[in-house]
Amino acid sequence: MGRYLPHLIVGLLGLVFVAIGLFAGRFVLYLTMRVMLLSIFALGYNLLLGRTGLLSFGHGAFYAAGSYGMALFYLHVSSDPLLGIIAGLALAAFTALIIGFFCVRHTEIYFAMLTLAFGMMVFSLIWNLRDITGGDDGLVGIGRGPLLGFSIAKDSQYYFLVLFCFALTVWLIHRIRSSAFGLILAGIRENPQRTSFAGLSVKGYRLAAFVISAVFAGLAGSLGAMLESNTDPFSAHWTHSAEPVLVSLIGGLQTFSGPIAGSVIFVVLRETIERFTQNWMLWFGMILLVIIMGFRGGAMGAPERLLRRIVRKSREEGAS
Amino acid sequence: MTAPLLEVQDLTKAFGRVVAARKLNFEIRAGELTSVIGPNGAGKSTLINILSGSVSADEGRIFLQGREITHLPTHRRVRLGLCRSFQVVNVFPELTVFENVQIPVLALVGRARHVLRSLSREPGVADRAMEVLERVNLAGQAHSPASELSHGDQRLLEVGIALAVRPKLLFLDEPTAGMNPVERSEILESIRRLSASGETTFVIVEHDMDVVFALSDRVIVLHLGDIICDGEPNVVKEDEQVRECYLGEEVEE
Repeated sequence: MGRYLPHLIVGLLGLVFVAIGLFAGRFVLYLTMRVMLLSIFALGYNLLLGRTGLLSFGHGAFYAAGSYGMALFYLHVSSDPLLGIIAGLALAAFTALIIGFFCVRHTEIYFAMLTLAFGMMVFSLIWNLRDITGGDDGLVGIGRGPLLGFSIAKDSQYYFLVLFCFALTVWLIHRIRSSAFGLILAGIRENPQRTSFAGLSVKGYRLAAFVISAVFAGLAGSLGAMLESNTDPFSAHWTHSAEPVLVSLIGGLQTFSGPIAGSVIFVVLRETIERFTQNWMLWFGMILLVIIMGFRGGAMGAPERLLRRIVRKSREEGAS
Repeated sequence: MTAPLLEVQDLTKAFGRVVAARKLNFEIRAGELTSVIGPNGAGKSTLINILSGSVSADEGRIFLQGREITHLPTHRRVRLGLCRSFQVVNVFPELTVFENVQIPVLALVGRARHVLRSLSREPGVADRAMEVLERVNLAGQAHSPASELSHGDQRLLEVGIALAVRPKLLFLDEPTAGMNPVERSEILESIRRLSASGETTFVIVEHDMDVVFALSDRVIVLHLGDIICDGEPNVVKEDEQVRECYLGEEVEE
């Protein structure tokens, strides 16, 4: 019984998400989509931070690349949402390849500062290239054409595209974490020198992790552009780059589900506090402090450990 | 005649005014357990760092089996068969012992780039990793985190990680540093056994000479960046210059 507990949990959560899509009101629907977008962003990001041990402060740039790639494609080429997303992903991957090429040569604080600098360069490019990007207004009027013949114009319809992308991300991240490549990334986090003495190019693997995490950021960005029907230059700003860092920390860097739990906590907390006070940052900061200092290993650290123990025990019982 | 396993030509390296290597020329022959010794500051660590690719030389060339590797990055040298261990424990502390050797095995069989396939389905990788652990007598602890092993076992694990890439030439940097006598004789026995099996040629870099003379076929003595003696252990032991600059200090203790 215990060994199927993770499947059971995933199944139940899946049902909850589908039920929200079918029955929830507009506000909950919108909030759940924001949670899923942030989850996609943070799940990819944590592959870099939690797994590979690289702290990037520039991933907002890749979210923005996804947004603007998608939006430009919509405005100038076609309203097909699938092709638009692919255009967003391609632009995010391309940007990450260039920025990553320079950044992965460095680690720790140097890496963090370089990503911050590159991220802000992307932000000022978007800000200043008014003819292409709309400057401080962003690109507006991004619609949602039919997806493979189905309309996704209403939020209640679009929700299921977001849910599909979210589920796909969860599945992909799970596969990556349990693959050979995932183990190598953990090795690089633990001991980059030893990894290169295993005959592996540490820079190459860091770059691969960087680009993969950026592609997920780009996915969140292109879905975000369609959700809001506009793009926001501030999505490339470092304040936005800090969101997946916080979310991963809240949920637990060394966990799989941490970024998801962190996103739920982040979005819900912010919405709730904003209703009561203008100074939401102050209260938010204090609550984050409690979570980060109170739960070592993040909100999901202890639950995941418990779950693993249950699964292992029931496997051993099954074997004996 | 085939090329020697490792050939070093006119290798020079200086840090400011301190010369760590002065036009070094030597060869390492396959199957010959060689030791490099010298007092502190003789240039042993620098030599090992240059040969393994962590530090670049000022001048000179390095050949592995006749192929020049002077400018190759570390991981390429490892792929060609040159690996090393470190003076301080250098493993993947939070990973299990098994995962520690899985990483180099994956690299060796060229499966490290598989992004979406479950590790448990990589054919043969688990078997090979267990085989390596058996060679260094750690199979029993395969599933504990490396950080929970004793110091001596962590050193053995490190040798295991290095052996897992099946190197032709393996540098061991002070393999007995920080070990108690029991662990020390165990690891020396392991080195002798592994060396005799013939797949890998070992080069031991040591400060402690008792270790070296009992074990080696050949001893190279470094002093202030120069090779001052090179030969069989008993010849080196009798060498006047070596006694003067190196053995003397030990005898006086």
